[in-house]
Amino acid sequence: MKPVPFSHNIADTLQLASKALNTDGSKIIAGGQSIGPMLNLRLVRPTTLIGVTRLEELQKIHIIGDTLSIGAAVTHARIEDGIDGVDLPPMMRHVARSIAYRAVRNKGTLGGSLAHADPAADWVTTMTALDAQLVIRDARGKSRREPMASFMRGAYRTGLQQDECITAVEMPVAMGQALWGYDKICRKVGEFADAIGAIVIHPDLKYARVVVGATEDAPLLLPDMAREIARTATAPSLGDIDSTLATYLPGASRVKRQLLKTALSRAIAKVIPS
Amino acid sequence: MNATVTPSVAKQPVSLIVNNMPETVHVTPRTTLAEILRDHLDLTGTHLGCEQGVCGACTVMVDGRPERACLTFAVSCEGAAVETVEGFKGDDLMDRLRAAFHRNHALQCGFCTPGMLATARDLVERLDTADEVRIRNELSGNLCRCTGYVGIVNSIMQVIEERRACGLPCTGTPRLDRAPPTGFAPFDADIFKQPSAPAVSSGTMTVENGWSVVKREVAINHSSDTVWAHFSDLDAVAACLPGAKLAQHDDSTFEGHISVAFGPIAAKFEGEGTYKTDDSTRIGTVSGRGKDRGGQSAVEGELSYTVRRAQGNPDASVVDVGFRFRIQGILGQFNRPELVNGFVDYILGEFVANCDSVLSGGELRYNKGISAFTMIRVIIAGKLRALFQRS
Ligand SMILES: Cc1cc2nc3c(=O)[nH]c(=O)nc-3n(C[C@H](O)[C@H](O)[C@H](O)COP(=O)(O)OP(=O)(O)OC[C@H]3O[C@@H](n4cnc5c(N)ncnc54)[C@H](O)[C@@H]3O)c2cc1C
Ligand code: FES
Ligand code: FES
Repeated sequence: MKPVPFSHNIADTLQLASKALNTDGSKIIAGGQSIGPMLNLRLVRPTTLIGVTRLEELQKIHIIGDTLSIGAAVTHARIEDGIDGVDLPPMMRHVARSIAYRAVRNKGTLGGSLAHADPAADWVTTMTALDAQLVIRDARGKSRREPMASFMRGAYRTGLQQDECITAVEMPVAMGQALWGYDKICRKVGEFADAIGAIVIHPDLKYARVVVGATEDAPLLLPDMAREIARTATAPSLGDIDSTLATYLPGASRVKRQLLKTALSRAIAKVIPS
Repeated sequence: MNATVTPSVAKQPVSLIVNNMPETVHVTPRTTLAEILRDHLDLTGTHLGCEQGVCGACTVMVDGRPERACLTFAVSCEGAAVETVEGFKGDDLMDRLRAAFHRNHALQCGFCTPGMLATARDLVERLDTADEVRIRNELSGNLCRCTGYVGIVNSIMQVIEERRACGLPCTGTPRLDRAPPTGFAPFDADIFKQPSAPAVSSGTMTVENGWSVVKREVAINHSSDTVWAHFSDLDAVAACLPGAKLAQHDDSTFEGHISVAFGPIAAKFEGEGTYKTDDSTRIGTVSGRGKDRGGQSAVEGELSYTVRRAQGNPDASVVDVGFRFRIQGILGQFNRPELVNGFVDYILGEFVANCDSVLSGGELRYNKGISAFTMIRVIIAGKLRALFQRS
């Protein structure tokens, strides 16, 4: 199907982009790899699209002090290749490669994926596991920061207001040295996940986080399991994982729980030898 | 940014370089790169299969990298260098690939071939060595219904070897090697607790013969007399329902629409239905059907509600809500109970808040449309996911 008629502006300053966002029916387009299919299906019917990928600020990858900052419009492919002169956490490069297909990765962006907030998307779980913060700017030019762990409110729901744009994603540079495991289960390579398990451990930072994704909701943290793994440096048994998941996700089907259990135990096994 | 902020959906010139030739096309912003190539430049080698980014048939090179031509819109093509299957003149790797495809019977009907060649060329250029598993993984974004991929994979492997034999370097970055797990010394972690999730709703949602059936019990802080008076007045009910607008009604039939606008997604169901209320049992029933013209979906459903007095509190009441509906068309992938539940609770929450407010003599909170967590986006999630999964 052809999308509904819309006007399309390529923003070259962030102020103008945010201003345009204040008009009814306007919508940001980054890589267009999520909004594009929706336009073609006429599920989205905007009056105006505002392209943000040419904004220099959204393209930068740099280190400020001990913070790594990745522009919202950095593509999955750039993260996969890691050739921007700044070391990215190996976990990010690994995850980027498993997102969709190269032609999609060449255009799809980190910020677009987080803003879209598909529960089964890879970055929402990964960025929660890595304790990332989003830098968000509104039409008046005011910036605020929101941790990824609370930014996503539910399936396709985020803390973004109509006139807000994600400009960057930040995390401690030290996350690059963290121990990590990530496992994504899907039927065909490159598609959205049926289950995701992720673990990030950083003893020096006293940091331990265990997350499951693709639950039809925001990525789910398992804080007690994380504490226990850090305290004992041993992997929980499959039975422990199962009962934890049953407590946190009472409504999940047996199939979903089995998939999540498998993904999480595989992720943990990448950190803790059996 | 373009000088004007007012929507300009008129045709505008877009200049790009296609197969080394400068071209200017006059198209509306919604025109995709695939259409520019096929309909305006007669380069029909770029095929359209899914228009969702899934099948890869439309894959072309943009500024030297494969991209989906079905997901790229006109304005963002300004200044781009596009190479299609009709091009690649004098391109050594593409010449070798074409020969290899021919040699290995890597095509039958040829529908996938233009996109397949673009992806293949990218792989040949990026991959250091011919790794069959990796090549097969990378090809999962290009669907071929005919060949079984064997010839295609062999062609790519052979051309990678040819490229290496000529001493041409690859352009891709090496894969990340992972060391085996090392473990770590135990430590006491500072644990972050996620803000607790909203309470689980009281009620059920099931799918029966393609109909979604939702049951809810809703508390309203007014006496059952007041609530029933409100609920037996169709105008009052419609006014409290987010996005609903009655065009006209008599004692038993109505016409109107309900708009759902959620983030980027918008649908407006226009239709008609019947309603009746029974003062003796305090049961109301509404049934109706509607069509979303723009999105080509249809919804039909029945709503029933029973108003009763809350136990132990004459100033409060309980409404038992039962809702049966089904959606057909693009928005029809509506059988994921966990997603529907969230949506229904959101709508009911807004509706009850509006009722409470009106019954207390206050104002409607708003009635612009459903603007937060909603069905449509959620359905699309199912729909798109299903598309990705089916392929
Ligand atoms: C065939 C296919 C397979 C896919 N498989 C996967 C997969 O396996 N895993 C996965 O994680 N993803 C997958 N995706 C999604 C892909 O990663 C998208 O690129 C990504 O989710 C969205 O990024 P985008 O830049 O394309 O955003 P767009 O589509 O341009 O935008 C998406 C949404 O975010 C908003 N937005 C974009 N940028 C910003 C910003 N800076 N600030 C505020 N709002 C913004 C837009 O308004 C829009 O609502 C797949 C996509 C396709 C087409
Ligand atoms: S038509 Fe573009 S990917 Fe299928
Ligand atoms: S040759 Fe027919 S689809 Fe690939």
